[in-house]
Formats: sequence, structure tokens, C-alpha cells
Amino acid sequence: MNKFLICLFFISNLYANVPIIIGSKSFSESVINSEMLALLLEDSGEKVIRKFSLGGTKVAFDALNHGGIHVYPDYTGTGYVMILKMNGEREPKKVHEIVSRQFLDKYGIAWSKPLGFNNTYALTIRKNDKELSSIKTISELAGKLGAYKLGAPYEFMERKDGYKGMASEYGLNFSQENIVSMNAGLMYSAIKDKQVDFIVSYSTDGRIKAFNLRILKDDKNYFPPYNPAFLAKADFLKQNPVLKETIQKLEGLISEDEMIEMNDQVDRLKQDPKDVARNFLINKKLLKGEIINQEVQTSFISFAYSRKGELLKLVIEHLWLSFSAIFFALLISLPLGVLLTRKEKAAKLIFPVINTIQTIPSLALLGFLIPILGIGFAPAALALFLYSLLPLVRNTYEGIRAVDRNFVEASRGIGLTNTQILFKVEIPLALPIILAGLRTATVIVIGTATLAALIGAGGLGDPIFRGVSTVNSNLILLGAIPSALLAIIADKFIGWSETQLVSKGIRLAKKRRA
Amino acid sequence: MIKVENLRKTFNGNIHAVKGVSFSLEKGEIGCIIGTSGCGKTTTLKMINRLIEPTDGKILVGSDDARSVDPVTWRRKIGYVIQKAGLLPHLTVKDNISLLSKIMKRDRDFITRRVDELMGIINMPYDQFANRYPIELSGGQQQRVGIARALMEDPPVMLMDEPFGALDPITRNSLHEEFWNLNEKLHKTIIIVTHDMDEAFKLGHKIILMHKGEITQVGTKEDFLERPANAFVEDFVQGHSGE
Repeated sequence: MNKFLICLFFISNLYANVPIIIGSKSFSESVINSEMLALLLEDSGEKVIRKFSLGGTKVAFDALNHGGIHVYPDYTGTGYVMILKMNGEREPKKVHEIVSRQFLDKYGIAWSKPLGFNNTYALTIRKNDKELSSIKTISELAGKLGAYKLGAPYEFMERKDGYKGMASEYGLNFSQENIVSMNAGLMYSAIKDKQVDFIVSYSTDGRIKAFNLRILKDDKNYFPPYNPAFLAKADFLKQNPVLKETIQKLEGLISEDEMIEMNDQVDRLKQDPKDVARNFLINKKLLKGEIINQEVQTSFISFAYSRKGELLKLVIEHLWLSFSAIFFALLISLPLGVLLTRKEKAAKLIFPVINTIQTIPSLALLGFLIPILGIGFAPAALALFLYSLLPLVRNTYEGIRAVDRNFVEASRGIGLTNTQILFKVEIPLALPIILAGLRTATVIVIGTATLAALIGAGGLGDPIFRGVSTVNSNLILLGAIPSALLAIIADKFIGWSETQLVSKGIRLAKKRRA
Repeated sequence: MIKVENLRKTFNGNIHAVKGVSFSLEKGEIGCIIGTSGCGKTTTLKMINRLIEPTDGKILVGSDDARSVDPVTWRRKIGYVIQKAGLLPHLTVKDNISLLSKIMKRDRDFITRRVDELMGIINMPYDQFANRYPIELSGGQQQRVGIARALMEDPPVMLMDEPFGALDPITRNSLHEEFWNLNEKLHKTIIIVTHDMDEAFKLGHKIILMHKGEITQVGTKEDFLERPANAFVEDFVQGHSGE
């Protein structure tokens, strides 16, 4: 696989007009920044592939590091704390210097100059929260928080400059059961609807304005600077001067207020990040064209209709991913399941392994596979393949073992060979159980395939995650409804094929027993 | 027609299931092996078609030695019928009967003609029963199809393991009669394993009583009733007849 990527890399040097793969993390700001780069590159005649919504830092960075994408935007603070595992420095320029030097040494990755704004963490409350109306700084909260609830993004609970550091620096005493780690996008709705009282927000989030929230002053300068910049392999930048020049156009371009405004347009006003990015670039005279006045999407039906092209592409991606996983799983599972009925000792060794794979949480499994296979189709298909193994192998094995030994002995007695017994007797009799396994595997795979979007494999998870991080329920439904429908249709289809494939004699017997 | 000489089976080196059994049957003769459960009668039958490989001994059908060919080829020359027929539930009556012939790539017209003929012989008209599944048949009908399946390749010898064991007494009786008349026409050499003395008396030209892996007596109904070999045979006959 790595060799394959290296080959691809050399080929990309030979042919100038090979697409530049741009990544982004799954929240609006990252998507908007990446979209700006994509639009400017397309404007100068480059081909671009967008791999947006790449889950969190780990996925996006690993993808860049292993060649799955060529460039993506990240924050100096993220590089400093999360990737370099460093702590202590809070001066923006120094942090940028450190990450630039260290990334080049360790990974051969270059940081551009920052894009302008600072999007650091901020402890945020409701403006109209009467009990907290006198509080202006985080220091004032020390020791007073026993009954309050805190919502924070998953990352924040893990990172060195995250919750633990903040709590000890300021003496914050949220009780453990009152801390909710959640998807960053859902957090704002949670505080607006009074599910939580504090959130750890991003300082440029559009919803601070839109949801009438207020940032408490970080009076001890606890949070490090988070200046976004584009990251790319230094070699790749050298070979693609256009990319370098285009990134330079964006350096220092975006102010904090402008970023809050654009985030608000995407998150609250449900505008397309692409349009928001284009309008901004036109205003800055980096692109020519008309400002697009957005129609605000209302009903799901008209929304879905307006995106029918995208929807079709996503459905095809989703099906292609699911069916290749199932296809290869069938190819392996049927012979393996049969073989294990002949080798009981091997079965005792292999089933615990397959069972264990099944218990690995899907996101963790995807995480494990990124360093090996990079991002995109291959690791996603492999993960789905692994998930469908258990129901398929187990049902093949159990199905064949459940065949009445009398039938096997009678068939052997009249002169059938072992192979003939397998194909003429055991498999036809085990077929209902094997098909039930296929049914389970297919439903699991079509459902789990939505997670593939987090590692850049596309499919119907893509609008779901974009929708969750931008609080756009139409987008969520655009992914959720078709994926649920696909699962139901696949289930019904396999149910129907059972009536076509399984002998009437077996179905009659089943009915009579019931 | 069939000759069994000094047949032995030892499991795991020390459990002697069958300890030197010998008997022979002429063409058209029916031999019934009878005995209590665990006496070795089923093991003996399964050794004859090599479902169980004998530890020692000789099996001859005509002049063919069982050990001269591979087990699959050997079994195809011997009809085999088991309790509850062992019909495959996913195949229709005609596909069950013709299963082996299809595997042996017999001519299609031959298969159709032969199935039609056999279904006539077992009194289950082709038009009415050919496309039914085993689940749609009564126990007696299933057993007849099992016999037709065993006859499909016209083997000289047939082995039957408790063929009428799972049937109710009335069906069993009428099938006994049908079966007897059938073999008067077909003249197959048949070995039936049973635990029912009445059945053995009714069907067997020759009765082979086994006990603890050995033959206690071989003879006709009259031999058993009038000249029992020992007290065990006497007890067995009295205890089982009229059951």
C-alpha cells in the first residue's frame, strides 16, 4: 500500500495536472478555510479533490503524514499540544516558530504563515444566565461550580491544555458526573437549551453571536494561541509552486470578526460553505464574480431535491463501499465457515479472534487502520469487511453443523462423495441460516458505513457529520434517511431472495414447525 | 450372492463391537439381522457398505471383494435404506430418487423413465407425487420413496437399517406385505437390521440373531421356534414375539 502511494506520488510529479487533494476537519471553519484554498486553486486551473469532514486532528494529520491528502488547515496550538505533546509556551509567534521547525524536522511538513484570526478555546456561558451575571473572568469561578454542568468537545477532555490543566490552573470544581463530553457542534445547542451551563467553545464560533452567548475572560492566559495555517509536505510544496503561491494569498487575510461572520452564515443561516468562501474571496478581490445571495432552505424535500446530484453520488459511494466489503467477506467467510466445521480445533482458535474484532468499537477500528492503509476507501472497506466476518462465518459454521447427521449419513450411504455431500446436501440445508447471517452482516455494514466519512471514504455519513458539526438538520437527514432506507431495502431484498434460493421443501418444513 | 466372512470391528483398540461374524445369502434371499441394542447389528450392516471400515474380515458381493474398490464406488453398487428414509428435505420426490443417477451423469431420458417406473412399483403415481417434497408425504410414503431411491441404480444387494421402525403398526404391516411381494418380483438380495422379531419372522428367509458382537444362531423361522440354539435364543424369541 505504501509502495502504491509512493508510485502514485512519482506519477503525480510526472504529470503536472494531477489533482491536489485538500483535506479539512469536520467543523465549518475548517471546511470554509479549505474551500477558500480549493476555489483559488481551481481558479488558477488546478484540479482539486476535496476530502472534507475528516473527523478530528488525528485523522486529518495522519492522512497528510501518510499521503492520503496533500494539504489541510490546522491550528498552531493543536500542532503544539496535540501532535508535538508540548506545553508551556503561550506567545503566538513563538508557538508558530516552534511548530514550523519541529514539523519540518520530524515529519517533513511545512506550516504556512497564519491566516489571521485566533480561534482558541473559550469558557462560555449564556448572556442571560442570571446566577452568573456578575462573573466576568474564569478566576471568579474558583470553587463555586459544584452544581453546574459543563459541556466540552471530546478533544478538550483529552489534550494537555484541555480540561485537567484548566481546572487546576483556575481551581474549577465541576463534579465528574456534571461534565459531558460531546460533539463540538451539538454543544452550542446544548447550552442554548440549558442542558449545560458552561461550554468550552471556540472563540470564533458563529453561534456565540447567534445564540446570545458570552465568553469569560481567560485572565491567566491559560489557553495557548490557535492560529490556523495550511500544512503540506515540504517536498510537495516545492513541486507545486502554484499551491504555495495560492496559500500565500490567504495568509493574514481573515480577521476574527470575519471568521465569526462566516461561521455564523454556515452554522446558523445554513449557507453552503462553498458559497460563503466564494463570497468572501470576491469581496477581497481574489476571485471575480457575483456575490451569491443565498436562498434559505426550508423544507427537507426541497433541500434534498436541490442536492439530488450530490445525494446520488453519496448513495453510490455508500453502496459501493458496503457491497465490496460484503462481497469479499462472503468470498472468505463461506469457505472458512465450512472449513471450520471440519477442523473443530481451528474453530476454537479462530472464533475468539473474530469475536474480538466484532467488539472493537467502529471508530477505534477505523483509527487503527489509518496508519496502515491511510484514509479513504481501503481502510473503510477493510473495517466493514472485518465487521461482517462474524455473522457470516458463524452462521455458515452453525448452519452446516445444524444439518441433521442422518441426512449426511444417508447420502454417504447411497454413494455421495464428501464434496457432493457438501454442495448437494449440507449447503442447501444450511442456506436459511447462512442467508440470515448475510442479512445481519448487510444491515450492520450499511449502518456502519456512515462512519466511513470520518476517514474520508465518503458515503452517506458525509452529510450526517457535516450536518452535526454545522447544526444543519437538513444535512443530517440527507444522510440519515437514505442510509436507513438502504438498510431496510437490503434487508427486504435478502428476505425475498431467501424465498427464491431456499428450497420450497425446507420452507414448508420450517412453516410446519412454527 | 453376498458372503460375509469373519467380520470384526474394534473401536479404540479394545472395544470389540463385532467379534467375527460370518454368514451368506443367495440371490433373492432376505436376511434379517436381529438383536438387542448394542449387539453390533448396525455396525455389521455399516461395515458391509463401508460406512464403517472393518478391522478384519472379508465381504464379497458376487465375486467382487469390497476391498478391491474405493468406498464410494462400492456403495453405489449397494442400495441403502435407513430409518425415517433419510430423504433430503430440500429435494422433491423425483429428485430424491434420481439424486445418485444424476451425480453419476446418467442419460436424462433414462432417469425420467426409471423414476416413472419405480414410482409405479411403489404405488405412488408419478403425476401425483413426483414434485412433492418429503414433508408433504406420510411416513409410509417417505419409506417407499426411500426404497425407490435405493433401487434406482438397480443394485443386486440392498441394505436396510430398521426401515420400518418409525412407522405405526398398521402402516408397517401393509408395507411388510407390499415389500415382500415386491421382492418376489425383483429378486434382490436384502439384509434388514431390525429389533422386531415379528418383522424378522415375516420378512426373513434367514434370521441372524446377534448378541454381544457375535452370532448366536442363523436359521429360518422354524429353526428359531423349534430348535433354538440355547436358552438365550429361546428367551429372546418368546420375549419378542407377539410384542
